[in-house]
Amino acid sequence: MQRRILALVALLAIVALRIEPQLLQMPFVNHRVLSIILTRWPETQMPGDWLRFPRFLQQVRARTKEGDKITVIIPSMKWDEGYSYAFYRSSYFLTGRQVLPLVDAEDHSHMENFYGSQYVMVWHRPVHPRMGKVVWEGEGGALLER
Amino acid sequence: MTATIVAMLSMTVVGLCVALAIDRSLRGPMLLGLAYLYGSGAIFIVMFVMTILHIRWNLLTVSVPLIAVAALALIRRQPATVNRPPVKPHWLDIPTAISIIGFGLFATAAPLWEWDFWAIWGLKARLFLDHGGIDWRFLESPWNAFVHPDYPLLVPFNFDFVALLNGGWSDRWLGLLSVGWAAAVLLIIRGLASDESSVVPAALVTLVVTDLAASRYPGLAEGPLIAFGVGGLLFIRRALHNNDSAAWRHGPILLGLAASTKNEGLALLVSATIALLIIRRRDVWRLWPSVAIAAPWLILRATHYLPTDIASGSALSRVLYRSRFTGDILSYLAAHLYEPWFWGSILLGLLIAPSVMRRREGFVLIATVIQIGFYIGSYFATPHDARWHVVTSWPRLTDQMAIPITYVVFLALAKYVAAMKDSPDVEARPVES
Repeated sequence: MQRRILALVALLAIVALRIEPQLLQMPFVNHRVLSIILTRWPETQMPGDWLRFPRFLQQVRARTKEGDKITVIIPSMKWDEGYSYAFYRSSYFLTGRQVLPLVDAEDHSHMENFYGSQYVMVWHRPVHPRMGKVVWEGEGGALLER
Repeated sequence: MTATIVAMLSMTVVGLCVALAIDRSLRGPMLLGLAYLYGSGAIFIVMFVMTILHIRWNLLTVSVPLIAVAALALIRRQPATVNRPPVKPHWLDIPTAISIIGFGLFATAAPLWEWDFWAIWGLKARLFLDHGGIDWRFLESPWNAFVHPDYPLLVPFNFDFVALLNGGWSDRWLGLLSVGWAAAVLLIIRGLASDESSVVPAALVTLVVTDLAASRYPGLAEGPLIAFGVGGLLFIRRALHNNDSAAWRHGPILLGLAASTKNEGLALLVSATIALLIIRRRDVWRLWPSVAIAAPWLILRATHYLPTDIASGSALSRVLYRSRFTGDILSYLAAHLYEPWFWGSILLGLLIAPSVMRRREGFVLIATVIQIGFYIGSYFATPHDARWHVVTSWPRLTDQMAIPITYVVFLALAKYVAAMKDSPDVEARPVES
């Protein structure tokens, strides 16, 4: 009998610990704030101001074609300080183009990718004439043709 | 949104035909749940075969073989072997339905936002859509190792099916697919539980696992992996308990599709095979559909030299090195166990349940232990910082295996409490015809 009571306690514990009140409440709460937070989520996980980065990449996509080699320059050229985010995010928005990184996960520089690219995206940094010819500027960055 | 809903309905229609071809006795929630999963699997297989044959995807080239699959399945409908009474609804199903609606609102609150969506699953889907099939050049590039080129492709292909219907890429409503996978596995659980217990435990166990099925990561492969993997394990369990020939077909097919969803699905297939070898060696051959579904991608990824990060470099030397810190790693895992009270209650339930019930559930328990062993082993082999790897994956991995063990422990305890040995008065006991 005692074992059955223990079994009942265990059953009730599983029920109590597993039922998720957030999912049950979700249909009855306002989603506007959640929607705003989640829409901005990818751009708020890294230090720095990235909110306009998706719009910048959409403009770059519109101005480049399939197969183009593109690389990206951002304020911090350190993998874990935003470069990995910029590279991955660019790869997502610029599918069909070949996005190449200028640094790798060990923060080693890969200038061969700069010289091998047709386009350079410069984000939140001043453009230098040696980077290439400006094709378009806006949304916090510039697209340069090499 | 319309394209996603049309895609999901199309998947379900194709899947209905396939499910009934596999098991004519299906009905109610189990039929609907399996229809969605088989439809999702059929889309993956059709698009995969097309890419192997170098046939460029478009709406027409993908739709024609899908219609052909549905038509062939309709022709092949087998006679029913089991007379399965309908599942009775219960008021406890209402909170489950509300939770799924809640998950739907969460999953579609914004364009899919998870890092792994836009860096892995969504990126591949978008890339393959532009390419009209698998872009091997991209996957083979060392610069793109971050996309995990070795991962199976069921999820990206399902996203691509939506995009084909949409006439272009949009990640705005793809979260609905995740809701479909969650709902599908819950429908299957509700159906399976109704076949072996009375209506209250069946409805309650479904409610209890709802937040696990509704994976916190919409747009990632966690949800479909849970759906296919749980379905696979529970159908094999059913086959072992009831010697149900249809369950012997569903289980291996679903496990094969789990293996086509994530590498953890491949590990689950191995775990299930070992568990079956231990429990009932003579039935291991019945897993052949899993191997048939999973093998083509394994062969292709080997021939294209797509790297697996866990196995990169000298995995053995990493394991040997970290084995000196086994205690530390296990302590770290224990400290970072997600929902430790829940796992404690499962363990307690397992200990309280009579030994005959534990033996009866040997397959699921052994498969779960082996799978968790694989997960722990991966932390010894990882080329990344082990602590970082644990923090970023351990909660997800334990969630993947939580449903099967919760299901068996919960029903075992419920039967014990109700003194319902082998469910003589079940709500809907299958009757052999």
